[in-house]
Formats: sequence, structure tokens, C-alpha cells
Amino acid sequence: MNKPVLGLLLGGALGALDGLSALVSAPEVKPEIMGIVIGSMGKGLVAGVLTGVVARKVNNLAIGIIAGIVIAALLALPFALNTDPTTGHRYFWEIMIPGSIVGLIVGYATQKFGQPVPQRS
Amino acid sequence: MLPPPGRTGGRAFPTTRRSVVEATRDDDGEVRRAAFDALIAVYWRPVYTHLRIKWRAQPADAEDLAQEFFARAMIRGFFDDYDPARARFRTFLRTCVDRFAANARRNQRRLKRGGGVKPLPLDFAAAERDLAALRATAAPEADGDVWFDREWVRSLFAAAVDALQAGCVGTPRDIRFRAFERHDLAPADGEARPSYKALAEELGLSVAQVTNHLAWARKELRRLVLERLELLSGSDAEFRAEAEDLFGVRIP
Amino acid sequence: MTLPEHALAHLQQILRAPDLPGGRYALHEPVGQGGMGTVYRAADRVLARDVAIKVLRGDVADAEAALRLEREARILARLEHPGIVPVHDVGTLGDGRVFYVMKLIRGERLAEFARAAPRSDVLRVVLRVCETVGFAHAHGVVHRDLKPSNIMVGAYGEVLVLDWGIARVVGTGRTAQAGAPEPGGEPGISPEPAVPAAAAAPSESLPDPVTAPGTVLGTPGFMAPEQAQGHPGLADARTDVYGLGAILRAVVLGDGDGRDVPRPLAAIWARALTPDPAARYASAADLAADITRFLDAQPVSAYRETLGERAGRVFRKYQTAIILVLTYLAVRLLFLAMRGL
Repeated sequence: MNKPVLGLLLGGALGALDGLSALVSAPEVKPEIMGIVIGSMGKGLVAGVLTGVVARKVNNLAIGIIAGIVIAALLALPFALNTDPTTGHRYFWEIMIPGSIVGLIVGYATQKFGQPVPQRS
Repeated sequence: MLPPPGRTGGRAFPTTRRSVVEATRDDDGEVRRAAFDALIAVYWRPVYTHLRIKWRAQPADAEDLAQEFFARAMIRGFFDDYDPARARFRTFLRTCVDRFAANARRNQRRLKRGGGVKPLPLDFAAAERDLAALRATAAPEADGDVWFDREWVRSLFAAAVDALQAGCVGTPRDIRFRAFERHDLAPADGEARPSYKALAEELGLSVAQVTNHLAWARKELRRLVLERLELLSGSDAEFRAEAEDLFGVRIP
Repeated sequence: MTLPEHALAHLQQILRAPDLPGGRYALHEPVGQGGMGTVYRAADRVLARDVAIKVLRGDVADAEAALRLEREARILARLEHPGIVPVHDVGTLGDGRVFYVMKLIRGERLAEFARAAPRSDVLRVVLRVCETVGFAHAHGVVHRDLKPSNIMVGAYGEVLVLDWGIARVVGTGRTAQAGAPEPGGEPGISPEPAVPAAAAAPSESLPDPVTAPGTVLGTPGFMAPEQAQGHPGLADARTDVYGLGAILRAVVLGDGDGRDVPRPLAAIWARALTPDPAARYASAADLAADITRFLDAQPVSAYRETLGERAGRVFRKYQTAIILVLTYLAVRLLFLAMRGL
């Protein structure tokens, strides 16, 4: 499996789980949970494939991890700045921090695993 | 013709391939004399060193004993009884020296020099200096016999190096000897030998030329050592055995 | 001229170098000494390159030794593999001694390499040795003298197995298994798969003068029991597996007492060093496979893990990912706790 595909699948899966975990940390968002999960998964898919593309271009663990964190954080930012219409609460850090950690995990995994681009002789 | 003091010279060796040991028993006086010259050229230092180390003779006494030994060996035919089947010639000669020294000590007097025989012009002072330098680095347990053998090897190689030099100096092969001398002889103890590249630059040659010159000089030196060894051996079997000891090779 | 002691010693050393015929090669200094021969660095004047020349030692030069050296050259010439030194030429000196010319290897012996290298690098070198030995087995050749001093790690990471002087040629796999005599025709090492785990009737394609019963061949500490008991003719792939196991143990333990050696790794060499050949790895490839599994943090066939050991191995293999996931969960729990407050 190549790195972008690995990033896509891992980012999507972790994004979905991250969205679901909102039920535990913020049970009051239960009515919007499907939207949260779909949004989180979509964010994860995009962040994952972009992080995987970086991993294909650059073989450097530190750069891969930083790219994962930055991409995930940037994609999570619009959602983090939103105010929940139901609760009137802004879940800024609850979205940014776990989302960035997921980006870190995807960045690490795409650097360590997945097929690199074959070298042309 | 006697060898110059401290040098053996290639000319001390007969041009024929007959063993000098055999030639010491020749009826012709001139042949005998030439043979003894050749023997003395290689053996005088080992004998002197042996007398100094094993018999603890003082330098002046060792010099006198060495001179007297060779003089009497020639006049009285010490080597006439040598049998190659029983021992190597250098072992036999060393035994003769021991017997001679023992007699001298037993008589408690310095032997008078044989009538009419002039002392050999050998540089005993240089030998004493070299001995002092060697003793500074030698293993303390080395005995007199070990010293004798080692000095014999040294004399043999020195004679061959002299012959190599004589054959090269003043000829187109001079550069070969210079490369050999610079790489294989000149470096002091502990000093690194010059690389082939450094030597090539120093002598204005290519590295390939340095390689070839060194290979030629070493091959020639080996031939000269073996040539002298053959002449100094009491028999063909002894020559082969000595060659194997020195070079780890069997002569076909 | 008076020669100082160091100059005399130097001259004796260089004059002991053999006199090569033809003038093509110019000898330099000796670079190695074995039981049978001395290896010199030399210059090949025709191709303008450095080579190594192995010459029979003068004190062991007889017809049998000449035959063995020539045989060694032929074995090397026919085993074309990156892990085996290529032979360029073979000849006879003026004094009758045999010599052969091979590629000059610049590097260090395995024991020296292992002293400074990380364990994983050392294991990868041993893997390459297993590949080379396995290749030789596939071509009907058993080394019989595997030890760290016969393994060279080159300056560019190449790994070479040296000194095939007492190697045994066992013929083709089909003929050996069937017990049939070697077919007539040109003798040589067949490229067919060979050296089964239990060699049946060995058929020598290159006469081996040193396989007589009672002959002890090899190096103490590295030779298999069947060799130590004087049965060199019974040597097969598993004999070399023993040697590989001894090498593995020697380079991993080094001068230490083995306290920090993982049990699966120790179990690998223990299996290779089993006195009963039937209980060892059947081939160098099987041994290599277990070492590879160890390097990949997979379970090895030579060792049965406990549940705790398996959990520990999986944790060590994926520890970074596990820690990251736990960190994520911890952050989630922290937020939950903060909301509770």
C-alpha cells in the first residue's frame, strides 16, 4: 500500500473515531453526532492523503510529523472556531488538540510504513 | 685480495660457483687465500660478536682472538676436517671458534700472532659500536649462539647489498638502487617508509616506475643473497636448508 | 655497509616474498597468513590494479598441499557470488609452489567489525554470510572452516567469506540423494541444487585429499562435533550451519557474558549449535530466516515465547504508535475530567 493511500485510510478511520469520541468528552453534542463523525472523517481523509503525499516526497520523520500536525490543525481550525448552535459553546481546544494528535499519528505512520516510491536506476 | 675494512665487496667472492668452503682445502695457495678472504668477509663480525657475548672477551681481546683464529684457521687448516653430513658449516665454524677460545682461556694467555701473518684490516671499532647499539635493544635471554647466527645473516645480507650497490652505481640502474635504498634501507627504526607516491615525487618518477624499480632491486638482492649463500654452504643440501630457513622457500 | 636490526628484519620479510614468474605481478607486503599459505598484496602491472596473491607456504609445500591450493582456486573460480572473492589467475612459481591471484579486499575481519557496530548491523552481516554459504551449498560445496576470522567486511559494506582451503565438494543434489556415482564427463561443481541436509553417498568432483576418516579439519570452537571426531567426510550443509551458529554466538557475545542477549537470539544459535546434526537448522537459509524474523521483531522458530514475552515484543515493535494512541486517549480523558470539574 502506498503512503497516500495509507494516510487516506488511517486518517479517515482515526477521524471517524475522533468524531465518535466526542460522545464521551462532550455528551451534549449527541444530537449532532452523525454530522460530527462525517465531518471528522472527511477532515481525516483529506489530512491523511495530504500527509501521505508529503511522506512520499520527503523521507524525514520529523518533517512528516510536523506536516501531519499542521495539516490536521489547519483543517480542524474552521470547526474549532465554530460555536455549537445547540449548546452555544465553542469546543476550540477539544477539537484542535485531539485533531492535531491524530495528525501526528498519521504523520508518523506514513513516514514509518507504506511503500516508498521505487527508486529509478 | 682482502676486502676493504668494514665492507665485504662483491669482488671477494669467486666468480666460479664452487663452494668457498671446499676451496679452503684447495692445494693451490692462491685459491685457498681467496676462499678465506670470502669466508672472513662474512664471518669476521659474527666471530667477534660471539667472542664478546658468549666468551665475554674485552674488545681488545676479542679482536686479537678473532684475528688469530682466522690466521690459524688458514695456516693450520681448521676447516679441512669439515664434514657436511654432520653439521652446517656455520655451526662447525662456531664450534671451532669455541674450541679456539676455550684453549686460549685455558692457557691463560693471549696467543701470539702466527708468524708473518699480517692482521686483517677489519673495522673492529665499527663492529663494537654496532654491537653496543644492538645490545641496547636485544632480548636479554638471547645467548651467544643466537647472536652468532644473527650476525651471520646480517653479514650475508650486507654483502649482498654492497654487491647490489656496486652493480648499480655509475650505471643506468643507479636510480633503481636509490629507490631501493630510500624505501627499504634508509628509514630509521620506527619511522614510516615513504609511500610509493611520495617516493615517486622525490625521485621524479611515476609510481609504476617506483614499483618496477623496487621489484627489480629486491629480486636482484635475493639472487645475490642466494648466490653468496650457495658459495658459503658446505654442500648442496646445506644450501637448500639454509635457503629454506632464510626465505621459507625450497630450492628446486 | 652495516645493516641495522630493523632494516635487516625488513629485508628478510620482503625477500621471503615469492618470486612470481612472468613479471606481471609486483609483490608488496604480506596481508594475511593461513595454515596453508600466505596472502600478499600485489600490483597487477597489466591491468594497473592492486590484487591479492595467495602462495603456498614454503614449509608446507608438498604435492598434497599444492593440490589443495589449486583445488581452492578452482572452487573459488566456479562459485561466482558477491560474497566470494573472485579468482583472476593461477600459476606455479619457479620453485614449484602454487599460487593464485584474487581480488584484493580492503576491510576488517568480522570480530573487529562487531566490536564497534550495533547489534542489528552485525546480524545483517551474518545474514549475508548465510546467503553466501547457502549459495555454495546449492553448488555442492561445504566450507568446513567458518569462523569470524574468515569473514571480511569490506570498506563499502560488502561481506566476503574467505579461506575455502578445506572446503568439501559433495557433487550434485540428485546424484548425492540417489547415491548414484558421478556421471562420466567433465568433473566440476554442478549448478544443480545440491548438498541435501543428509548427504547420502558423497561424490567428489574435485578429489579431496583431506577427507580420510580420522582427519580432524576445522578450528576448535567453531567446528561441528562430527568434524572434531574425525569424520570430515560426513560434512554437509548442517556442518556449516554449526559454524554459522558459532560465528553468531561469538560476534553477539563478544567479550561480554551475554546477560543482555535476548532469549530468542540465544535460542537461534543454540539450535544451530546442537550436537546432533538432525536437530539443527537444515540449511543456512533456514537459519537466515530465523535471524530475519528476529530482526523484524517476529517470533522465531527456535524459541517458544510466553504470553508476556509476546506482548512485550509487540509493544516494543509498535511502541511509538501505542504511546501516541495512549496520549490521544489521555487528552480525551483530560478534557472529560475538566468538564467534570
